[in-house]
Amino acid sequence: MELELGLAPPNDAGSCGKRRSAEAFGVKKPTLPLFLRDDDDDGDHGNGEDDTGDARDCEISMGNKRKRLVGWPPVKSAHRPRSNSHVKVKMEGVPIGRKVDLSRHASYHQLHHTLRLMFPSTSHHGDPYAVTYEDVDGDWVLVGDVPWEDFVRSAKRLKILLV
Amino acid sequence: PAASLSTPSSPDALPAAAASPRAPPARASRRVASPGPATARAAPMGRGGARDGAAAAPPWHSLPDEVLEHAFSFLPAAADRGAAAAVCHGWLGAERRSRRRLAVANCYAAAPRDAVDRFPSVRAAEVKGKPHFADFGLVPPAWGAEAAPWVAAAADGWPLLEELSFKRMVVTDECLEMIASSFRNFQVLRLVSCEGFSTAGLAAITEGCRNLRELDLQENYIEDCSSHWLSYFPESFTSLETLNFSCLEGEVNFAVLERLVSRCRNLKTLKLNNAIPLDKVASLLRKAPQLVELGTGKFSAEYHSDLFAKLEAAFAGCKSLRRLSGAWDAVPDYLPAFYCVCEGLTSLNLSYATVRGPELIKFISRCKNLQQLWVMDLIEDHGLAVVAGSCSKLQELRVFPSDPFGAGQVLLTERGLVDVSASCPMLESVLYFCGQMTNEALITIAKNRPNFTCFRLCILEPRTPDYVTRESLDAGFSAIVESCKGLRRLSVSGLLTDLVFKSIGANGNCLEMLSIAFAGNSDLGLHYILSGCKTLKKLEIRDCPFGNKPLLANAAKLETMRSLWMSSCSLTLGACRQLAEKMPRLTVEIMNDPGRTCPVESLPDDSPVETLYVYRTIAGPRSDTPDYVQIV
Repeated sequence: MELELGLAPPNDAGSCGKRRSAEAFGVKKPTLPLFLRDDDDDGDHGNGEDDTGDARDCEISMGNKRKRLVGWPPVKSAHRPRSNSHVKVKMEGVPIGRKVDLSRHASYHQLHHTLRLMFPSTSHHGDPYAVTYEDVDGDWVLVGDVPWEDFVRSAKRLKILLV
Repeated sequence: PAASLSTPSSPDALPAAAASPRAPPARASRRVASPGPATARAAPMGRGGARDGAAAAPPWHSLPDEVLEHAFSFLPAAADRGAAAAVCHGWLGAERRSRRRLAVANCYAAAPRDAVDRFPSVRAAEVKGKPHFADFGLVPPAWGAEAAPWVAAAADGWPLLEELSFKRMVVTDECLEMIASSFRNFQVLRLVSCEGFSTAGLAAITEGCRNLRELDLQENYIEDCSSHWLSYFPESFTSLETLNFSCLEGEVNFAVLERLVSRCRNLKTLKLNNAIPLDKVASLLRKAPQLVELGTGKFSAEYHSDLFAKLEAAFAGCKSLRRLSGAWDAVPDYLPAFYCVCEGLTSLNLSYATVRGPELIKFISRCKNLQQLWVMDLIEDHGLAVVAGSCSKLQELRVFPSDPFGAGQVLLTERGLVDVSASCPMLESVLYFCGQMTNEALITIAKNRPNFTCFRLCILEPRTPDYVTRESLDAGFSAIVESCKGLRRLSVSGLLTDLVFKSIGANGNCLEMLSIAFAGNSDLGLHYILSGCKTLKKLEIRDCPFGNKPLLANAAKLETMRSLWMSSCSLTLGACRQLAEKMPRLTVEIMNDPGRTCPVESLPDDSPVETLYVYRTIAGPRSDTPDYVQIV
């Protein structure tokens, strides 16, 4: 089967790797996006229930599947553009805060896992909690609404609230 | 004795392959539980005494252990020692008792205690943990690979241990404290891509290891507890030869560092972190002009002519400097300060440096003796053309993407690699991130450089075809494996069908490590690899349409390999169960996203498996799996 990736000829420098902007995908000609960046803002990916369709079917019939692209391209975090990705984390009711390095995580899943390990208070085990972050504008926002990479860049600190 | 060893007189004598460092590892390396009492001389060695008439040389099987051990000391390569150990029980015993260096490529392949018991005289050990793809975030936190059991076993059984190296493992402060207090003559600590420790643990090392020669911290995640770990080196301590703290985020006490550098006259390698400003680098260099390797740390300072002069003078004094690295957000104006060392440089690592433009290129072009160059794609094609013309001794080239996720223009094309491979006759190792590629370029590269041992090409956009012909890159990569008969490591990318794997399977006769992403179109692709590639050790695959059949059909192959990683492919649980049942000496791990804690026993056979990690082991299933890893 042939792929139509819609890459323009080499002298069209702007055509490669437009991953961020959703409009760019929409505006392009008939080819559909190969993938979208890792955004866990919807229920499909959030509970790992997406794999009944997506993960099983890795046929190159791209475009109508949304796939997360964790770990691509294969560069170590040390080689990624450096940002101060350590953020303080505080949990409601817990006096001691922690610090977490966002750049060492590749998805919201991994971050949640780390947070659970950092704050394993037994009385709250299983209780719903909400992770919020302070963004560049100083607003406190629920974690998970924006693509992971954007979140890493804009999160200043985290606060875990009990729901 | 040396002469008689080289004239084998029986079929049981040393196989010829033992002389070659590329010999496949001997089976003996897995006979950990073997009893083999020292005096067992069971194996028929054949009559070594072929010297009729002369004073009879002792037959092979009654050579005393000391002679054997001395002979084995001339076999530095572990594979050769393994081959010697496979000859007979006597040699097995002599070899294992005298082994000084041990490399455990997968920390779960054997139990620490067993390794320590089997090789009681080890002085230097290296242990590796997480799978390679952990470097790219594909392995969630708390996966395992704890160093603690290894440190504990070593503390118990190797009191004379001198060197310890961990890669991709979790090393805690307690581990470091134990290391500091357990080995009287501890000299070398190397931690690569590890996590779990802080500067408090480092303080235990610097305080407790009186004979420390090397403290080499490469790309670790180190929590900063602001403890003055450097200050814990006693004032009387002078034995340091290597100090690398480039991955440390926090400040260090510069006065302490300066005093340390001044009194350690054997210091050869010094790699600083970002906290050390440029003018301090100059004064350190004046204290240590004997340095062979320097990592400058952060470089971004506004240009000041007096600082430039200081740097230039400092570097002029470093006549032995051969290797240079650093996080150079460099003001290009400072680069000429390095000109005097360029000619002597054999290794230049600018992979953290965002410096670009003509100053960069001019700088590199003066490094006529460069053997190893790591650089960002900011060098662009024309920069690599200059490298091709200037660095005729280049052996290894790595070009990293400066903007891996961005929507930026294509900075680097196939042209750069073609030029370098055409003009650098000793080039044998390449890691190249670029935006586009053609079959023609790859075929040209393959023709020019049949001596590649490592070829890793990463076209940034998955499944990118030949941008001229729009075809797959099968032809190009096939040319690489057909031409480069000594290829040991290969990473493929771009648009690829099953056909390229047919070629790799048939031609990759030395291939030990293969990385595949977003490639192939059916089970056949994987089958070609697993049924070919005779020497394959590590196979890592992501996002390919490979399913259960080739895995099960080639189950036995997996025991000849160190490990297999498959993520986002088309595997189901049933096949993994079958594999585990069929191959008891493999550990079959499946991994789901953390947060999904459904026990695997309850899932049906046709459940998809997101990540499979299989490895051979003599230790049985590990007991430290997190909740998102299940051993089938």
